[in-house]
Formats: sequence, C-alpha cells, structure tokens
Amino acid sequence: MVNVLWLQGGACSGNTMSFLNAEEPSACDLVTDFGINILWHPSLGVELGENLQKLLWDCVKGTIPLDILVFEGSVVNAPNGTGTWNRFAHRAMKDWLSDLSKVASFVVAVGDCATWGGIPAMAPNPSDSSGLQFLKRKEGGFLGKDYVSKGGLPVINIPGCPAHPDWITQILVAIATGRIADITLDELHRPQTFFKSFTQTGCTRNIHFAYKASSGEFGQRKGCLFYDLGCRGPMTHSSCNRILWNRVSSKTRAGMPCIGCTEPEFPFHDLKPGTVFKTQTVMGVPKELPTGVNKKDYALFTVVAKDATPEWAEEDIFTV
Amino acid sequence: MPVQTLDISPVGRVEGDLDVRVEIQDGYVTNAWTHAELFRGFEIILRGKDPQAGLIVTPRACGICGASHLSSAAWALDTAWETEVPRNAILGRNLGQLAETIQSIPRYFYGLFAIDLTHKKYQHSSFYEEACRRFAPFTGKSYELGVTISAKPVEIYALLGGQWPHSSYMVPGGVMCAPTLTDVTRAWSILEYFRTNWLEPAWLGCSLERYEQIQTYDDFMAWLEEDPKHANSDLGFYWRMGLDIGLDKYGVGVGKYITWGYLPHEDKYQKPTIEGRNAAVIMKSGVYDSFSDTHSLMDHSFARENTTHSWYDEGNKDVHPFDRTTKPTEKNTQDFDNSYSWSSAVRHIELGRLETGPLARQIVAGGKHGEDWQHYDRFILDCFQKMGGASIHLRQLARMHESVKLYRQAERCLREFRLNEPFYIKPTEKDGRGWGATEAARGALCHWIELEKGKIKNYQIVAPTTWNVGPRDGEGKLGPIESALVGTPIADPSDPIEVGHVARSFDSCLVCTVHAHDAKTGEELARFRTA
Repeated sequence: MVNVLWLQGGACSGNTMSFLNAEEPSACDLVTDFGINILWHPSLGVELGENLQKLLWDCVKGTIPLDILVFEGSVVNAPNGTGTWNRFAHRAMKDWLSDLSKVASFVVAVGDCATWGGIPAMAPNPSDSSGLQFLKRKEGGFLGKDYVSKGGLPVINIPGCPAHPDWITQILVAIATGRIADITLDELHRPQTFFKSFTQTGCTRNIHFAYKASSGEFGQRKGCLFYDLGCRGPMTHSSCNRILWNRVSSKTRAGMPCIGCTEPEFPFHDLKPGTVFKTQTVMGVPKELPTGVNKKDYALFTVVAKDATPEWAEEDIFTV
Repeated sequence: MPVQTLDISPVGRVEGDLDVRVEIQDGYVTNAWTHAELFRGFEIILRGKDPQAGLIVTPRACGICGASHLSSAAWALDTAWETEVPRNAILGRNLGQLAETIQSIPRYFYGLFAIDLTHKKYQHSSFYEEACRRFAPFTGKSYELGVTISAKPVEIYALLGGQWPHSSYMVPGGVMCAPTLTDVTRAWSILEYFRTNWLEPAWLGCSLERYEQIQTYDDFMAWLEEDPKHANSDLGFYWRMGLDIGLDKYGVGVGKYITWGYLPHEDKYQKPTIEGRNAAVIMKSGVYDSFSDTHSLMDHSFARENTTHSWYDEGNKDVHPFDRTTKPTEKNTQDFDNSYSWSSAVRHIELGRLETGPLARQIVAGGKHGEDWQHYDRFILDCFQKMGGASIHLRQLARMHESVKLYRQAERCLREFRLNEPFYIKPTEKDGRGWGATEAARGALCHWIELEKGKIKNYQIVAPTTWNVGPRDGEGKLGPIESALVGTPIADPSDPIEVGHVARSFDSCLVCTVHAHDAKTGEELARFRTA
C-alpha cells in the first residue's frame, strides 16, 4: 500500500480534472489495481474539518507514513511571506507544505503552478506565488534548490497546464511499483520519457511545417500553425502528439496553436499586447526558431522549402 | 442550551477550499458564515495585457468550468469587437460547453456528493448497505462507473479544442477548429456510449424517451412506481434514500434564483450584442422570486457587488462590476463581525441575494417569460411548488434532470453543423466594452471586459460561486449558502456531515470564486508584495 496525499495551493483544480480523465489506468484503477491508497484529496477525500486536520498532523508526526505528496497549484506566499492569502485547515498552506515535504518519501508537482508558479505567478504576481522548486526557470522556488525528499529525489515536476493524466498516473505507478529509478529527470526535474520530445513530434501538420505552408488564420483545414498563429510546437517539450489528449486529439491537431504550457516561461511574453496567437517576427522571420536551428540554416531551409513546395501543400488537406 | 460555535476548515469536496463557521443551538444551525480562503488575483494579472489574454487565462481560473470561462471570454470579445460569428462556430462553442457540463454531472454526483450517503450516520437507514455498494469512494459499483465515464463526454471537447480541460479554441469571430465528418461521427459515438453505458442503464433505468415524458411532480412519482428498474436506478435509489434520510428537509436558501441563460441559437446570434443576447439564447435568462411567484428577465446591468464583509478596502457601497476598484486587504484577519472572505457579495439591484445553479436554471425554465421558441420545462418548478420550496434533495434532482436535456442539445449541435461552411470569420480588433455570459454546470458565469488602447483596461468575472458563497452584503443579509445552512440539523458536532451536504448541494467551485475580484490599478498591489 502506497499512501498518497494530494493537496492544492493556488490552484484551479485543472490537474485534478485532467487526472480524473485518465483511463489506462483510471483513477479508480490506481486504487483497486495498483495498491495506491489516496489518504485525502480536495475533490475526492472523505474527511472534513477536524478529522482532516488530524490526518494531516498524523502525516507530519509520522504516525501515518506519507509515501507520495502530490501538490497542485502555486505556493502562495502573500502577504509579506506569511502565506495567509491561502489558508487551509486553519494554517497557511505553505506551512503545511513545509512540514509535509520533510516527511514525504517523494514529492510530485503536477501542473505549471506547482512546478514553476504558472499563471498566478505571472506579472505582477499578486499572490507572490512560486513553484515548489522553481520560479519560472529559476531554481529554488519554495523548497529551495537543494531540497531532496526522503526517497532521495528532488521534486518530480510534471508540468503542463494541465498535466496530461497519463503523465501523472504513470509517475504515481512508477513510484508505487518501485520503478521510479528507471525514470530520468531533465535539468528542470521533468521525466524525460514525457518531455524529451517536442509537442511537434507526431503533429499531423508536420509536413506543412516542412514546406512552410501556413494556416494563415483560424478555422482552416490546412497548413501549419507555426508561421502566423504563434504555435510553439517546435520549441516546446511535451508528448502531446504522441500520447493524445482525452485519447482522441491534441491542440495542434484540432487547429489550436501550442502555447508552450509545459515550459517554465508559460504564459509566454506575459501575454503582452500583440503576443497572443500571433507569431512574433522580425522582417518576416520568426523571432524564435525551432529548438537548435540557427538563423542562417533557417533562411536556407526557407528558400529550399518554398522552392520545393508541392501544390497540394497549399490546399485543404483535412477535408470533410 | 448554550450556543456552540463550530469552525470547519476545510469542508472539502467542493472544488477549492471552503471554510464554514456555524453556530449551533439545540442541535440546529442558528447562524452561518462561509469564507473563501484563497486569493490569486486573476483580474489583476489581466490588466494591461493583450485583449485576447482572457482566452488563455480565464479557462485556467477554473479547471472545472474552463469551457464556460472560455465561452464567456470569447463572447465578451465578440460584443466588444462587434464581430460576426458563423453558425458553425456558435454550434461548436455550444457543443464544447455542453460536453463539459455533461461531464460534470456524474463526476459531481458520485465524486463529490453521493460519497456522503455512505457516512456512518446513515447506517440505520434501510438503504445504507446498498448505498455503500454503489457509492463508496473508488470501489463503489456506481462510483467507479460514473467517475470513469465522466471522462467520455469531454473527448468531444477534445475533438473540437484538442484537449479538456484548458483549451482556448473559442476565439472572437468563431472557433479555431474545422471539424470533419469523422469528428462528428466520433462525437455521436461517444454520446451513444455515454447513453448506453451509464445514462440509461445506470442513472435512469429507462430510455431517454420514457424519462422525457415526465413533465410534473406527479409524473415523476408515477415513473418511480411504474417499474422496479426505475426505482432501483441510481436516480430512483437516490431519490428514495434522500427522502428516507431527510435531505428534503433542509438547505432552503434565499428563495430567489438567477440564470443568465445560455446556448445562443446558431441563427440568432451571429451578430452578437449585449442587448440582443436575451432574445437569442435557447435556454432563457431570468430571475424567479418565489415569494411573489414571478419570473422576469435578467440583465447584466442589474448585477451589483458589495465588499463590506470581504477582504477588500473598497467602502460599503453596492457597485456594478464595471465600476469595481478592488483593493485587497493586506491583513486578511478572520473577523466575523466585519470581513471574513475573499468573495464579494453579489446582489440583484432590486431583488438582493440570488441563488444560482441547476435548480435556478430549471425553476426559470418553468417561467412563461421570454420568447415563445425558447426552451420551456416546468417539471422542477412544479416539484419546487409541490415540495414547498428548495432543499438539498431538489438541488440534486434539478442537476441530474439536466443530463437528459443537455444530451439532446448536444445531439442537436451535431446534426446542425454544415461542414462545408465557415467556422471562423476574422474580426477587426477595436477598443470598447464587452460582456459575455453562459451557464457553467454550477451556475451563472459572466465576464465584463473593457479594452482601451489595444489592451485590457479592466476585466471582471462574477462566477456562480461568487453568487452562492458570498458573505453578508451591505445590509447584513446572508449569502445563499449561509442562508441555506441556517436551520440545518447537526447530529454530531464533531462530524458535521450535514453542513457538507448543504454546501455540496450548491456544487460550489471555490477555485473560481476566489479569484473573481481584481484591483483597478496593478500598481497598488506592489504595496503588498514582499519579493
């Protein structure tokens, strides 16, 4: 039996909702088939009030072993570092976190808010929010750069706004079945198995990307979303087009540009005027190029691609 | 008997952290305070940002009602930019909204509410053992089916928007997607799966067609007795057990109800305006005052917010959301005589405090106001009148009653798509004011936006839970949940499950409410920041 405690700070519950969409395994399967015991969860837990407070204190004291602490939402530090703008069970949530992170075998941050601070930490960051071990790309966050849980790992970051349900369930199962050592974390503490590839990897619009055939505007049945509509698929690490969303699709497949929500900088450019759903360009060239591609090579590619583009690449391809 | 004060922190299973303080005398709640204990400041974040920033930010205010926020954000921009929205896009938005709400119904009922029927307090009920078999968390037969199947309807959302939650596929001028016949066929199949695996066999115990014959309270009683399959369906079982354990006996509330109405008709709202909305929505807007038994239309200009008892330094006057000058109080000390919540108190300019949610929608659906062609259904209003008003039990019935009609609306969207016509008409950006509204699963939601010099000057949200969970207003009147808690019998003050029932019957979504208050100037916030 592996005890999981799931808490929410400055959260929208989106990761919880995403988690409940899981199918193989489903949230119920985790309990019935994989030996996971959900001690408490804000949307699923049975206890309320004093009974929950007792459960939390029992975890802090070690009376109940806390195997996995899952945290969703930002760590709210306002006002003045007290954290009272997010009180939970009669205390600042950050005080609970501080105590629980010392006794948890593993700490898993789900979603952008818990990993990097997310939308609440966007300028001007009114709630003085941070992620558990990062604030945006900067290491440290609430628990500090050097934090490791009792199990010997830093906070395992599963970013995304929200995180994909399978990313969450598979990491929980890896821990529960003693296989977490098989997982490699990248420099941002993300499991590489999900975050080494790009959002673009597996996108149905790849061929249009290659030929520089653009969608131009929304509601189209053709083209790539990178050139005009601000798609960040080539620069974003995720498995959105390998492990499909809700089993059926992904944003880029449906026609929505990737907004880079697994990266610490999300929301990019702080959503300043002119930056939403529009590719940022200088002299017609995207300011940000696909990861690892330099400007000179990009220019060369462009010439070749434009030259080689077959006619069909400019026609509707995802037709009725 | 002395007054016993109980502080319940948190209540749990209300989506977000709700704290409740109640005073108990002779076994009954005599006074109540609800307080939202999280502040994120979403509208502060939106100030000065790109006009379309709300499409990315507001669905993330609430992971549960993201489609509803996205709908409101898109319609608010449509009215501000005076766009043209093609009929396919209206259908695409409505279908997304419907998929989200259909998801929410079983997820809420089993995941958040029905678990409590397995509480030991009810062990002497003759329904108890069966309730445990069905509703026990994770392992209950109906729980497992209901929670797992709740993931299906939002697959339709993903076909349109790529993922649920948190897509931004609705944009001013239409939608980003252009679904194909394959998408439509898959969506049909997903709906069918939901119907044949849960809605008919598990929830209703009959066909949708049979259920749809129920028009009155007496029809419902006849349906229950007609066939053991009906009585033993999750609906029939829940109804009988709820009466047995007295869920129809408390949780009354304020007796006045609001809905913004929703699902704009695809042929009637292609040139969206704030003024034209009431006459364009399939599910009509309205207010019902049970004391005078009158229905009337609702309008955004009737909304007022009051922060006398909230943690904001904004005076004691009622203001329209466009005129909020929110300044969060730095020291949010709990003072139940003064300020005790991050939520404001929302009021109707004349009728005062209003309850929102499925019960409100269905009571309004029974009114003769509005347009002739708009949806009309007097079943829940009839139950309300026959049962002597609102209760926990009636709120559940209203919520679950919607599952069938929303299913039919989703079917209709799929039938009405004209796949070779446009899904998007590129708009021109401009300054101005806009308002977008919808009905989230848990009630009336709307966004006000003011654009100036190509950026957001002011963004305001009043969410369903802002209506329901708000603290006392300027006149000291209790909010809807506070009011519903008064009179609640408490069997065991050390485990006040009844308070949980009442709070959860509103399906409160605190994650949404607590952000819904912004600062007029982002600069003022700097005072409070330490970093």
